[in-house]
Amino acid sequence: MEQLRGDWDAQVKAAWEVSSFAIELSALSERELPSLAAYLSRTPNLPFRYISIHGPSKGREMDEEQLIFELSRLAPRADAFVMHPDTIEDFEPYRRLGHKLLLENMDARKVGGRTRGELEAAFAELPDAGFCFDVAHAWSIDPEMLVAHDLLDAFRGRLRHVHLSSLSEDLRHMPLSEEDEELFGPTLSRCLDVPWIFEAPSASE
Amino acid sequence: MEAGGTTPLEDLAEAAGHTFPHLFAARARTAEGLEKRRAGLADLPHGSEASIVLMGSWGRTEVTNGSDDDFMVLVHGPEGSPVKPEVEEVSEVLDHQPGKEGPFAEAVFSEKLVQHIGLDPDNNRNLTRRMLFLLESVSLTGAEVYREVRDELLARYFDESIKPYQPPRFLLNEVVRYWRTIGVDFAGKEWEGPEKWGLRNAKLRTSRKILFAGGLLPALECFRFDSAPMRSYLEGQLAMPPTDRIAQAFMKNRAIDEGVRTLSAYDQFVGRMNDPDFRQALQQVNRDNAADSEAFDEACAIGKELQAGLLALLYEAPTELPRVAREYAIF
Repeated sequence: MEQLRGDWDAQVKAAWEVSSFAIELSALSERELPSLAAYLSRTPNLPFRYISIHGPSKGREMDEEQLIFELSRLAPRADAFVMHPDTIEDFEPYRRLGHKLLLENMDARKVGGRTRGELEAAFAELPDAGFCFDVAHAWSIDPEMLVAHDLLDAFRGRLRHVHLSSLSEDLRHMPLSEEDEELFGPTLSRCLDVPWIFEAPSASE
Repeated sequence: MEAGGTTPLEDLAEAAGHTFPHLFAARARTAEGLEKRRAGLADLPHGSEASIVLMGSWGRTEVTNGSDDDFMVLVHGPEGSPVKPEVEEVSEVLDHQPGKEGPFAEAVFSEKLVQHIGLDPDNNRNLTRRMLFLLESVSLTGAEVYREVRDELLARYFDESIKPYQPPRFLLNEVVRYWRTIGVDFAGKEWEGPEKWGLRNAKLRTSRKILFAGGLLPALECFRFDSAPMRSYLEGQLAMPPTDRIAQAFMKNRAIDEGVRTLSAYDQFVGRMNDPDFRQALQQVNRDNAADSEAFDEACAIGKELQAGLLALLYEAPTELPRVAREYAIF
């Protein structure tokens, strides 16, 4: 999906070709936020039932107060804001996003936000926040998928959506392989009521 | 309550290591409120063919500090039968009076309620009372009369059209008809004026949906039963509050995670509705200012989660229920 970054029309088109149910618009760097705000302003009616925005997670420079202010301006247009818990320094401003804030579990490369214990600490600071379950990130920590089930056991009441893909050897999101589809099946069967966001194109594309 | 002494909502909480603090608190509040009201009504002269019945949040066991005493004096008999106690006498005891324009605070005769199903005599008011009586009500007095009228009503639905191992179509059509009527009436009320638009809208997304699902799910689940046990199954279901029927359906259909999320969303709504500021904020919302209301935004998000959970149960659970829902819920 890297090639679609910043091209909001292309992201919408790609998502629409998969489903009219849900989309996640990825503003992974802060400099993408102004163009996303402008896009949502001139395109107020996107054809999806559920709209998520993945907030900046890479190369963060913006003051967190300012970042949350920028995201808050988009709140009327979004059902959820996905953030990486390991990038949060001061929880206070994030509380303003309330129930729309989702914390995503992190992959094995990260130093926090990966497991039940690490996420519990973040949710204790952000009690209204929901949970974005990245299946492949959980797999990167435990290929037996016990960590994945443990995360769902711990945060099942908070779960709002799923990130779905396979991972490359260097833990980049890849199209979901048939092998992983089968491996992830039991955990995904516990997430039937929430949107599943594909973080890579399908293998057939 | 189950044989083991726990309710399905408690069983779901136990199975998932979760809790529904606002729903459990509301149940305790409801029990306390019922006891107080029963004591207050005990001294009223009472006919042997009457039952004072509370509906709405009382029947759902979800009373909040903003709940009205939505009552009727149910009389077992035809129109014109003596009404004792009189509605005014009951109104003096129940201190949270229902709105004057609704179907409450009147004498209701069982013959009309039970026999006039469908066709012109079954007006909106009669349908509303019948469905609330069946799906979300509790007797304050005259428990035997209340039970007898419910038996007569269920007998009406269990007529010759009942088929073994199929949902009871007559009842199912009534439940679906009522849900669609609520939706149409919402538009009708908006046409008359914007008052309470936000509160009505929020309830339509949440508590009204719980009411509907609390009737739809037991009706669909009848596919598991032969004709004779089907009725006793439904009697058992309708004796429980809707959230227990829904919790049990999630567990029976092996969708515990989805059940936790659905009822957690509703738990949050019940908790918020117990906050006078939240309720007041919703009361001030209309279609024009809805986009600026945080309370309305939160109610919409809760409604989405609640509906997504119920749809997953109906259409994606790993059991026969999705097949039955597909075959019976639309046509």
